[in-house]
Amino acid sequence: MVRLKINGIDCFYGSIKVLENIAFSVEGGEIVGILGPNGSGKTTLLKSISRILKPKVGTVLLDDVDIYVMKAIDLAKNLAVVPQDTNVTFDFTALDLVLMGRNPYIGLLERETEKDLAIAKKAMELTNIWHLVDRKVSELSGGERQRVVIARALAQEPRVLLLDEPTSHLDINYQIEIMDLLKELCKERKLIILAVFHDFNLAARYCDSAILLNEGRIVFIGPIDTVLTDENIEKVFHINAIVKRHPITNSLYVVPLCTSELKSVQPRALKVHMISGGGTGASLMRILLEHGYKISAGVLNVLDTDYEVACTLGIPVVSDAPFSSITEEAHKANLNKIVNANVVILSDAPFGRGNLKNLGAAMMALEKGITTIVVEEKPIQERDFTGGYAQASYMELRRRGAIFVESYDQILPILEELEDKQEIVRKV
Amino acid sequence: MKHEEVNYFKRFKRWKMIIIFLIFALAFAISLSVAVGQMQISLSNTWEIIIKNIPFLGDFVNNGFSKTEEVIIMSVRLPRAIAAVIVGAALAVAGVVLQGLFRNPMADPYLLGISSGAALGAAVAIGFGIRISLAGIFDSIQLMAFAGALITVFAVYNIAKKGPKVPMLTVLLAGIAVTSFLSAMISVIMITLGESLHSLIFWLFGTLNGIKWSDVMVSLPLVMIGLFVIMIFSRQLNIMLLGEDEAQRLGVDTERLKKIMLIFATLITATVVSISGIIGFIGLVVPHITRNLVGPDHRILMPASALAGAIIVVLCDMMARIAIQPAEAPVGVLTAFFGAPFFLYLLRKKKGMGV
Repeated sequence: MVRLKINGIDCFYGSIKVLENIAFSVEGGEIVGILGPNGSGKTTLLKSISRILKPKVGTVLLDDVDIYVMKAIDLAKNLAVVPQDTNVTFDFTALDLVLMGRNPYIGLLERETEKDLAIAKKAMELTNIWHLVDRKVSELSGGERQRVVIARALAQEPRVLLLDEPTSHLDINYQIEIMDLLKELCKERKLIILAVFHDFNLAARYCDSAILLNEGRIVFIGPIDTVLTDENIEKVFHINAIVKRHPITNSLYVVPLCTSELKSVQPRALKVHMISGGGTGASLMRILLEHGYKISAGVLNVLDTDYEVACTLGIPVVSDAPFSSITEEAHKANLNKIVNANVVILSDAPFGRGNLKNLGAAMMALEKGITTIVVEEKPIQERDFTGGYAQASYMELRRRGAIFVESYDQILPILEELEDKQEIVRKV
Repeated sequence: MKHEEVNYFKRFKRWKMIIIFLIFALAFAISLSVAVGQMQISLSNTWEIIIKNIPFLGDFVNNGFSKTEEVIIMSVRLPRAIAAVIVGAALAVAGVVLQGLFRNPMADPYLLGISSGAALGAAVAIGFGIRISLAGIFDSIQLMAFAGALITVFAVYNIAKKGPKVPMLTVLLAGIAVTSFLSAMISVIMITLGESLHSLIFWLFGTLNGIKWSDVMVSLPLVMIGLFVIMIFSRQLNIMLLGEDEAQRLGVDTERLKKIMLIFATLITATVVSISGIIGFIGLVVPHITRNLVGPDHRILMPASALAGAIIVVLCDMMARIAIQPAEAPVGVLTAFFGAPFFLYLLRKKKGMGV
């Protein structure tokens, strides 16, 4: 089985060190993701493994042979690279380009044989571009061209495949198709696949293990689910993220929430209570949190999207059992929260008999003189499942002086204005 | 499915046809050029004279021509036409090589300073009246031009060299800098030249006037060797168009390829410059014309450019001889006169000519 061993390499551009003490080894049949922020040395690592940038310290061994001792042609029979971008500005056809992958197998005075053509064709069929065979590469779309380059790499019949963001120009369906294909080839032919990913979720779904780079050093290396943790992501990318296992694909998925720098934003004086449901409040919760507002929410059913988001964001929530009407108890708890808030925001959630009490809560907020903002991106008529009660309540809210806005974008300016006013009041 | 495979291999047949067609066109151009001049000779007589002088075949031809005609063709016009073929082929192929290596459609064989180096050599030879010769065949201008060209490229190459690598962009910039430095020196010499200025100017424009068989006999093998070696690597030059990193990853030893290509492109260019002076535009325009006709694959582009370049220089030289009779124009003026407008036409027709 093929084995690639990176032996403590240091790489330099001029006098600038871009990789330091990188060491790992990979065996055939494994897909390894290379993750890390821009400038962390991912592409440089691929360069040094593909005999473009010779490390000053350390060695790259392919089956115990130093690749910098090998001839270019011998390495090309074993290792293929799919670069980030291929600048093909001349009029070669897709087939011409794929056949270039056969170069290491064709002698100086020979030309392509039928066998070479058959291999090129097979590679193009696998990447689903055989229909583009006679098209000029310069006229292809970015995604088509990327698949041509992947086919060219496959035509090299390599045992090691290096990919630099293999699917960056591809539509979602081709991303999955290409990655499925690579995974299949990897397992079938026992290839080593080393790929740079920007998309955590793609990496999580397809990689067996991963290398997390930062500032030219390996921060973490291991099986993908030990690398992709919220801690590691926070450490390297400085963002808060939730890592969960997807119930359908059973692979990890990463939801970036907000940058951790924003979290340390100046806290604001205003306390906001949100009445929402069905996911209508989720993004607003995050935005308000990022702007430093104190938030509470309720009443939300457990399992509601808004409930899950509030919990993951650490927002105090008044909750009730899933798929049931709001109980009197929960309603009271909610009113308590409202009394403590300066502003109540009512999202454009759908209303049924189960959560009608929440409208009553908003009404009470107005009675107590708490500023109440009602969002109507979607008019109440379209989300009233109470036979008109909700619509009547909305009219009453309007009459009592609630602020109606048509879009979530209008909320932040209103809050800022309120905060300024409150500031003045306090000073007086 | 079988259809595309057949299509692919058909191209090799098509390439053969293109080459055969161009060879016939070249033969026609040569015979036309040889027949036309101050003394007109009929095409049939021309062919008879040429064939008669080929060993063995000669016995089968009747002598329907005069001795004068035979002398004009065999010792004046034919060596000149053959020299035009050599010059055209070498410049066109050198142009293809440099455009490919630099991945730049504006590159030409003189980019590395060959023209200015050769010109300086010639200027020194003419200006200082240096009289050297080798084996009695080469005159001092030829030798000095050849040496000047080689020394210049050698200097440019070593200025640009960084350790074991030769970055092409640095080569290009070094070539430009050295060229302008040498041009300044040439200007100084030209100012001090008296009567011999005229012959230097003629040489600088490029002319095939006064070509002898001996010139052909020496330049032909050198150019043939150069063309042969370059063509061996034409498939690798295709891959080089993807950029050096990608070419390396596809198994091309790029440093070796660059070295070989630069050495042999320099050799053939220096050779033809030393016999013809600096003929412009052939190395720039012919690769474009040919690329438009046969596509970007160097395996056909090289031989087709060689033949097309030969045809064009043969015809331009013919026009140079008859355009302003009884005087003669430098052929380089003709190639620039037709080449420049044609180049602009291509530029307009196909915006951003891809290499």
